[in-house]
Amino acid sequence: MLTYIARRLLFLPVVLIGVTLLVFVAMSLLSPYQLVSTYIKSPEELKNQSLDDLVRKYGLDQPAHVRYMNWMKNLFRGDLGYSVSASMPVKEAIARRFPATIELALFAVIPVVFGGIWLGTISAKNYNKPLDHLSRTFAIIGWSLPDFVFGLILLMVFYGVLGWFPPGRLSMWADTVVLTGDFVRYTGMNTVDSLLNGRPDIFWDAVRHLIAPVITLAYLWWAYLLRITRSSMLEVMNKDYVRTARAKGLTEKVVANRHIRRNAMIPVATVSGSMVLGLLGGVVIVETVFDYKGIGLLTATGAQQLDYTLILGTTLFYGMLLVLINLVVDLLYAVIDPRVRLE
Amino acid sequence: MTTPKGDPILLKVEGLRKHFPITKGLFRRTVGYVKAVDDVSFQVRRGETLGVVGESGCGKTTMGLSIVQLVQPTSGRIQLSDNGGWMEVNSKTIRHLRDKMQIVFQDPFSSLDPRMRIRDIVAEPLQAHGMKNRRQRYERVETLLEAVGLGSHHMNRFPHEFSGGQRQRIGIARALSLNPSLVVCDEPVSALDVSVQAQVLNLLDDLQKEFGLTYLFVAHDLSVVQHISDRVAVMYLGRIVEMGEVDPLFLYPKHPYTEALLSAIPDPDPDVVGEQIILQGDVPSPADPPPGCHFHPRCRYATERCRQEAPELADLDGTEHFVACHHAQDLDLTGVSTRATA
Repeated sequence: MLTYIARRLLFLPVVLIGVTLLVFVAMSLLSPYQLVSTYIKSPEELKNQSLDDLVRKYGLDQPAHVRYMNWMKNLFRGDLGYSVSASMPVKEAIARRFPATIELALFAVIPVVFGGIWLGTISAKNYNKPLDHLSRTFAIIGWSLPDFVFGLILLMVFYGVLGWFPPGRLSMWADTVVLTGDFVRYTGMNTVDSLLNGRPDIFWDAVRHLIAPVITLAYLWWAYLLRITRSSMLEVMNKDYVRTARAKGLTEKVVANRHIRRNAMIPVATVSGSMVLGLLGGVVIVETVFDYKGIGLLTATGAQQLDYTLILGTTLFYGMLLVLINLVVDLLYAVIDPRVRLE
Repeated sequence: MTTPKGDPILLKVEGLRKHFPITKGLFRRTVGYVKAVDDVSFQVRRGETLGVVGESGCGKTTMGLSIVQLVQPTSGRIQLSDNGGWMEVNSKTIRHLRDKMQIVFQDPFSSLDPRMRIRDIVAEPLQAHGMKNRRQRYERVETLLEAVGLGSHHMNRFPHEFSGGQRQRIGIARALSLNPSLVVCDEPVSALDVSVQAQVLNLLDDLQKEFGLTYLFVAHDLSVVQHISDRVAVMYLGRIVEMGEVDPLFLYPKHPYTEALLSAIPDPDPDVVGEQIILQGDVPSPADPPPGCHFHPRCRYATERCRQEAPELADLDGTEHFVACHHAQDLDLTGVSTRATA
């Protein structure tokens, strides 16, 4: 088990070098002038220096492999560079934005996974009956609605008309409280920090801001999980060992919960794992629609402005996350399926 | 009625039918039925082994499964002897009869829940039938595993850690956990290697003696059936065509289909020049069986009467040897030992 984990972690640097190299190659397709454009905020800055001066200043005249080595050298010193688009060091930008994304992912994953499994179970139990068609149609509509459309509808109804679920992460008054020195930021997640600081009012405000993006994400993903759960349940229902369970004289409820559902959950767990990964990587569109300042929005803004230090930093971070979460999913896989051996 | 003599009767099956609807089109209209089991009646005596043979698709497995209600029969009456009285076996009563009639499945690889430990697989029926004490359950599991030739160190393992033969032993232990009187064996050895087959068959034999079990043994392998059965029923297209004590039936078959089946048994003696009866054509579809005797299109003795009139299963000479053939008394058929020796 431990050797398995160690061996998997040995791959981590390989993956990270691979992904950053890829980003660097893509970046080297851009001319130094394009790359330097991100540093120029206004035409005023070009009065005293030429573009070539700036290119030289930021080392963009050097060949790509030299720049990559320099970047690597800094990386080993723990320096990811300065992000112009976020106006702060890349490391700090990630550290600030990632908790917001974790928070959204944590709040989304429960309704997404359990809702999807629940709908899938209903569908499978009522295979080809009206309830099955109903839950599938409901889920497919969510899948087909683009998230920026559904998100905007939610925003229109629940913010514009009803005023219940505002965009952003906190209301103005709560934001002011959070930014004061008395409010300790333990985790960077507003809901957790507010409770630790004994401020239920801020907790409630944070939750209000989370509900709409969570609903958008949940409705988007339900169809996917429903389909996996449904087909997996239907497959397991016809397995011989389910017939064996009936032969034992178990009640239908025990057969369904202990034998069918437990076995049907194996593929569902795999899919859920990659879904969590997707959520943690940031959901650009949902974060944009709801002006939710997570890592997805950060990366998207950086990409738009050719802020390559930021992009490299987030790529590195996301690559690391990918390897680690996949490892966790594989470990969990061995827990739920005894046939899987980690070697 | 087909009443065997001797030991008291344990199981009565009367007019058992299982018809699977065939649906077609957008609205799943029923356009016909596959008559997998079509009016089958027989009785099983306590302590005996009734072998059921027939080729693939003749309905023998469906029959076995309908008796234990894992397939819901279309019609028919199944009764199980219980303390001198008769218990009706149907979908409502079956859950409380599972401790009296159990089943060993064909495929030991797919019939054990892959996520359960052996001790739980075997103990689960005990729990379902009211043995609340966990330690008591596991003690019983230990005894059972020993009875089928496995050890208590196997209890904590998962099914995938066992070979086919071992898995089938687990399946047998599970079936015996509730002390049933009747065990339906649905081709219990057909998924196993020949060497392992023999071990499992001998185990079944030993367990029968030890626990006084009654077997309904479904198989397509004639040598297996000959080895294990006291009586044999031969099925063709959902019906029993011949039934009787194993030796008379194998030596002096009375139905042309039985004769053809027996001629297919390979003889270990190379000097024996057996006449291989090659049946013409395929088995007719059970959705559209031929009129009259179901076997007539492939029967070399068929006459006009066979094409029109379906024969009844009847005991012709009072020897408990039942046969469904119009010409049973006129024909002189070849059994296993009456083959010509060159």
